[in-house]
Order: sequence, then structure tokens, then C-alpha cells
Amino acid sequence: MQRSPILAVTDLSVAPAGGGRPILSGISFKVASTDTYGIYGESGSGKTVLSRALANWLPGSLAYGGGGVAFAGRDILDRRQSADFRVGRDIAYIGSKPQSALDPTVPVGPQILEKLLAVRPNLTRKEATERILHLLAEVRIPSPRERFHDYPTRYSGGMMQRAMIVDALCAEPAVLIADNVTQPLDVTIAAQIVRLLRDLCERHRMALIFLASSLAALARVAERVGVLHEGRLVEEQPIDRLLKAPRTDYTRRVIAEVPRIWSTDSEPAPPPAADVAPLMRVVDAHRTYLVRRRGHFNSYNRVLAVRGVTFDIRPGDNFGLVGESGCGKSTLTRLLAWLEAPDAGEIRLDDVSLASLSPRQLLAKRREFQLLLQDPYNSLPPRSPIGRMIGEGLFLRGALSRKEIEARVRKAMGEVGLADGLYHALPTALSTGQRQRISIARALVLEPKLLILDETLSSLDQGEQAKLLELFAELQAKNDLTYVFISHDLAMVRRVCTRIAVMYLGEIVELADNHDLFFDPQHPYTKALLSAAPTLEEKPFDATVYLLEGEPPSPIDIAPGCSFASRCPSAFGRCRVETPKPIATRSGFSACHLLDPARSSAAA
Amino acid sequence: MVETIAALGPGEFAPKRVEGSIARQILSTAWRSTGFRIGFTVFVLLLVASAVWPELSPYDAVKMDMKARFLPPLFLGDKWAWGHPLGTDQLGRDMLLRCLVGLRYSLFIGVTTVALMFVVGCGLGLLSGFRGGLWDTVIMRLTDAQLSIPMIILAITILGVSKPTVPTIILVLGLSGWPLYARVARSAAVAERGKEYVRGLRVVGAGDWRILFLFAAPNILPPIAFVAVLDIARIMIFEAILGFLGLGIQPPTPSFGTIISDSRKYLINAWWIGTSPGVFLAVALTAINLMGAALEKARNKVYGGA
Repeated sequence: MQRSPILAVTDLSVAPAGGGRPILSGISFKVASTDTYGIYGESGSGKTVLSRALANWLPGSLAYGGGGVAFAGRDILDRRQSADFRVGRDIAYIGSKPQSALDPTVPVGPQILEKLLAVRPNLTRKEATERILHLLAEVRIPSPRERFHDYPTRYSGGMMQRAMIVDALCAEPAVLIADNVTQPLDVTIAAQIVRLLRDLCERHRMALIFLASSLAALARVAERVGVLHEGRLVEEQPIDRLLKAPRTDYTRRVIAEVPRIWSTDSEPAPPPAADVAPLMRVVDAHRTYLVRRRGHFNSYNRVLAVRGVTFDIRPGDNFGLVGESGCGKSTLTRLLAWLEAPDAGEIRLDDVSLASLSPRQLLAKRREFQLLLQDPYNSLPPRSPIGRMIGEGLFLRGALSRKEIEARVRKAMGEVGLADGLYHALPTALSTGQRQRISIARALVLEPKLLILDETLSSLDQGEQAKLLELFAELQAKNDLTYVFISHDLAMVRRVCTRIAVMYLGEIVELADNHDLFFDPQHPYTKALLSAAPTLEEKPFDATVYLLEGEPPSPIDIAPGCSFASRCPSAFGRCRVETPKPIATRSGFSACHLLDPARSSAAA
Repeated sequence: MVETIAALGPGEFAPKRVEGSIARQILSTAWRSTGFRIGFTVFVLLLVASAVWPELSPYDAVKMDMKARFLPPLFLGDKWAWGHPLGTDQLGRDMLLRCLVGLRYSLFIGVTTVALMFVVGCGLGLLSGFRGGLWDTVIMRLTDAQLSIPMIILAITILGVSKPTVPTIILVLGLSGWPLYARVARSAAVAERGKEYVRGLRVVGAGDWRILFLFAAPNILPPIAFVAVLDIARIMIFEAILGFLGLGIQPPTPSFGTIISDSRKYLINAWWIGTSPGVFLAVALTAINLMGAALEKARNKVYGGA
């Protein structure tokens, strides 16, 4: 156990250069040469400053206040002791914004090569190139030889993060610092990156310092975890002991706040009976965008954003729609809110096709379905008084007098919990939660039947989120509302939704009741998604089985066959030639050949 | 909430606190600069003088007085004669009066033309940017066509065919200037159209026109309006140029351009005839430019750099 530490931090503190309250104080920990050491810290706790202080790479506005960082026994803050110490060679750093770490004007491979040659001048160009190609393959970038010469803009977020890992690894550092590397990534991609980092550290015998604001991600990587709170390490324990027996109240609270999916005490309400007439019905909706092809005068790429989506929303439902970025959620949202019309297929509300309505009829019908947008900062007109913008839906219809509108607006403001005095105020100084309440009130004055919530809660913190969810439940009970939750947050969907649809590459691959979806998912993608969910629970789906490498294919020119086949652990021949049709399951459907009873007979 | 704000650091993403309308903010910011105050004071003085003096003056701006030809300004004469403080011209008309009447026309044409260009140009630009499609194509090709015709050639053509009167001069100047307004308004409208609040308003059922004029235009137009102040100076110069070329307001009605043009023959003996309107024009332009520059600076400050 007592290996000599490669990095030892003793009583480190960092403060603004001009003096002031220290950002970090009294940080001490040791990392041995093959350790994976995790540091948990919520945003603002000093994580990034710490990660840069370790590499002697503080911005000019900050200064070391005391203590030391020893790399292999020598203090790196002392020039005389560590003249030959180099950031990038001995300690490497990966940040959370790969987009800004790569130079967009130079292809990815060559820019990593330049950095490598700068820190390892004794390598020849050829050796260095070979090493980078080898590493690109090791982080599973497909066809590295071609990708080597691609510009960063042609890399996806996950691939850029992989390229940054190569950039960090190529100089064979002894310590790798990863600062919130998974934060901007989708859950399945983030889980892949975490697994990759752990493997690489084992194989290259590196020490890894993994800083994150997600305990779930840390639990997957780190052996020991330190908890950073307001610039101090409040406790440090091996991860399993930390989760079971936290020593401080702060840690206990953090652990309690990690969302749960499988081990919740309360099941959401059962879905409404299937035999009622659906409120909204989406029938085989398609939406394709034409995007001008670069370098061509009159040629377009067809981006197939939504491809044949069919589902019903029953009155009183809390319908959930989950999927990762690029799966077509946003486009489907625009179709549901009738901001755009589908190219093919139809959307029916109360059995009336929205496409068949005249503009006047549509305006009347619009009252019944309202969309709440994601970003409460930009979704409100910046210079209109709050009362005016909430009442806009009524003003423009012109059926009510000014007095009546004002009365209704004030009533709605009361219902969502906005102070009456805000009626004439501008929205400029309001908090996120209050702004979101304005959006809700704006929808409510129209007395809708269906509310579509497009990631409406994702910009709010936990407490505010819980309050709004309560408000939604209250409004539902009072006004017979039906909700559609569009989200990437599995835990939130698990908590509130009755029926859930999972989207992948423009299609709904599975639709099921809440309990069935989380405990008995049928589609391999659903399983992969659940296995990657950022929770601390014992998961019924093991990421090593269900989560394969690779990323969703491009929505341009989708090949025939199942769109998930390229990442599916159980894909077989038929998956690559024939597009699976939805097959009825216990409480919904799933589009997968594995469920086809004909398959077993065909195989036999 | 506390932690997110702490994470962002001072002033990084925290919403800007805004008090009052943009217009008021820009004005109050500009008012704090000395340049604006000087320009504003001079401008108001000139405005009042050109409005009031021609009504009070004992002379007539167009009536000749052959006995009083080529009288020098009072500081050049043998004794201070207050009758004609800036002297008289070749036909014995009072220079102060003629300059102030000229200034009246100049300011009137400048302000009216800019207002016209602003309304027409921004109106079309907003439509073009917000509606897109055919509106955009047609309006933008119109601006291209308009910008391809040099102003002077256009002026000679139109004013040569029709009589150069105040309305036709305004028309010619406005015609050559609106495309710039349309372009600027269009690009602002395109940016505005993509904003989330526009989608939010569409959801409650608001149509393009309603969103554009009730919610988007109040965000787009004030900054353009403030920069338009500088354009008044530009139009006043063009008005003088047209007058100089004989395409402006026709004699005997005084205008800066015609006075200067006529004075060339007497430049050696009676230099004040040409110089007086020049000085008036220069002072007026300086005042406008001082205000315009201060407003533009204030606008950039209110909008946070750029």
C-alpha cells in the first residue's frame, strides 16, 4: 500500500494575486503512481483552480499563497528544484471544453504532433506521428489515418474529447489531470470516455486525478475521492466507503441529492387507461431539412431529423420523451407545438388534423396546446412588461377586454407564484425560476389542455426544479392538464412521467410505461442509455455489456437497417439490412428485430 | 443559485441589470460627455436662430438693394455698422439673413430626408430580414440596384427632368440613402428572428407582423436611430453640393450651395459672401457630428463594447 507518491500536495493555498479571500486553502493529498484519485466539487468550489494549480499553470490573476506541490519528490513551484519539469510532459491536463482547446485552423493530428515535438524534442517526426496514430486508435477514433488530417470542426464533441486525451497522453505523462471532462457530453458518450480513461491509466501506468461535479462519474473512475467544498478538502476516503459512510454533513447532503432511478420509494401515478380517446396523436410524422452542401452551388444534404414517429398522448398523461443530443427531440418538439409542419404524416389534436386547419381555426386551436421553452433568459421578450407578455396570447386574439385580460393575467401570476407587483415590471432582474414561471403563466392564461415542456427544468437547480415539479402537479390536478416532458434527464423522467418514449436518430425505438421502461426495457438502446445513467445505484444494466463504443451515425443519408445496429451488442445480419418495425410489448412497443418471434424460427 | 453565480465569476454570465428603455440609457450616457453638450447647445442655438431671425429681420432675403452692394461685415468696415453684421452680397442682400434662411432649408432637408430614409429603409429592412424568402430577395435586390447608381448621376437625371424643388431634392437624397438603412435593419432583424422569444410568441399564436412591430422593432430601431443623427450632417453636405452644381434650391431663394457657387466670381474683392455660408455649414456640421459621435459611443457602451 505504501507506494511512493508521484504527486504530493501539502497545505496548498491559492488566492487572487491582488490579495483577497483565498480560493483554495490548506489542500493536502497524495497520489501514487498508478492511483486514480477523484476530487468532487460542485461548480464554484475551486475545482478548476485546483487542477491548474497542480500543473503550475495558474492564470496571472491568481497566486500561490503557500504550501507546495511535489512531483516525484521535487517541488514544482520551486524553479531551482524543478528546472526540467514540464507541463504537458510530466503532468498533462484535459479540460472540459475540447472545442476551445483545439485550434480550428489546423487539422487535429498535426496540432497534436506539434505539441508532442515541443515537449519531446528527441522524437523524430515519423516516430511521433506513429505514436499519435497508435493512440488515436487506442481511444477508438475510427479510421485514425484519415481522421488525423481532419479539422476539429469535423469531430463531434465526444471525438474532440478523445483527441484531447490523445493530446495529453502522447507525451507519456506520469500524471493526468482531467477537469470535468465528461460534463459537456451526452450520458452514453460520457460513460464511454470515463471507461476509456480508466483503461488507459491502467495500461500506461499513469496516475489520474479526475475532478468532477458528478459523484456518479467519480464512482466509476476513482479509487479514492476527496470532497472539495468552498476551497477546502473536507474529507477523503476510498469511494465505496465515502458513499456508504460519509464523515461530513456536506458530503451526506451531496450524496442524498444524487438522483435515483431504481431505488426510489415512490412510484409515479399509473398511466391513464389505454381505451380513452387520445388527446394528441402523432401519426408517422417525418421532418427532413435541406442543408446546403459545402462547396456545392446547388446541392443539398437531406438531414432526416424525424423519421416516421407515431404515438398517442392520452388525456391526463405525463408523457416523457427522452433521447440524447441529435436524436431529433427538438425537431419533434417543434412539430408537436406546430411551429413547423411535418413533411409527411400528421399530428391530430382531439382527432382534428392540425394541417387541415385554416389560420383562423389554428389560432383558436393553439390555445389548447402550449410549449414551454428551455431557456428562460432568451424566451421572453426583453423589453416588455411582465403582465403584457403574459397577456399577449389573449391580447392578440382580441376576444376579451383589457380589464378581463388583466384580471386573468393576475390570476395566472398568482397560480404560478409570481408576486402581483411584478405586473408592470420588466423581466430583467428576475431569477431563472421566476422567468420560467412567467412562461408557465403565459401558457396558462390560454387555458391549455396540453403543455409541452422542452427541457423546461434543465436550467434550474435541484431545489427550484422540485418546486416547479410540485407546481406542475398542482396545476394538473386543478386544470386537467396533460404534459409532455421532453428531456435528457432520466431521473427526472423516472420521477414524473407515466409513459415514456425513447428516441434514437429520429425514431422512437421504444415506448413503454414508466415502470416497464426502467425495469424491463426491451430495446438495446434503452438498456445502453439506462446503463449510462449518472446515478450511484446498483444498476440492473451493466455498462460493460450494454454500452458499446461508437457514436450515433450522422442523420444524413441513413443506411437501411436498424439505426442502432452500429452500436448494438446483439446486432445480427438482419439488423443491417432491414429496418425493424415496432413490435407490441406489454405496455407499448419497441422497434427491434430481437423481439420478433419470427426471428427464432428463422434462426432455427 | 448562489453556487451557480459564484461559479460564473463577477459579470461573466450574470444577466445585465437594465434600467429604463435603451433609448433613455443611451441618451443619459451621451449627455454625460462634454462633446454632446457642446454640440447640442450649438445645434439648438442654430435651430432657434434660423427659425426666429428670418421672421424678425428688417430685410428680405431675396429683394435686391443696389445701393448696399458688397458691404463688408461689421468688423471690416470703417466704422461698426450694425445694419449688416455679415455684410451684403453682390445684389445688396443681407448675408446674415441669407445664411440663416439657407441653414433653415439645409436643416429641414437634412432632418426630413433622414427621417424618410429611416422609416422607409428600416421598414423594408425589417420586413426583409424578418419575413425572409421572397420579401428578402426582392428588397435586397432593390437595394443592390439602388446602390449601383451613383448619387450625383441620379440627382442630375431626376432634377434635370423635373424641377428642383424641396420635395424633389428630399426624394433624390432619400432614394440614394435608404438602402444602407435597409441593410442594417435587415441584419438586425435576421438576428432577432432567430431569438428564442420570437418562438415563444409564436407558440401563443402571435403572427410575424405582430411580433415584428410590437416586440422586435423596439429592440432593433433605437440604436439605428441614434446613428442616423450623423447622417443628417452627410445629407446637409449633399444638399450643398447639389446647390453648388445648380441642382439644388433655385435662386433667388438662398441655399448654402448656390450662395457659395455664385460667390466664386467675387472671391477676391468680397470673400465674405462665400465664406459666411461655409462657416455656418461647418459649425452646424460640427455640432451634429459631436452629438452623433457621442451617441454612437454611448450606444456601444450600453450594448457592451463592439
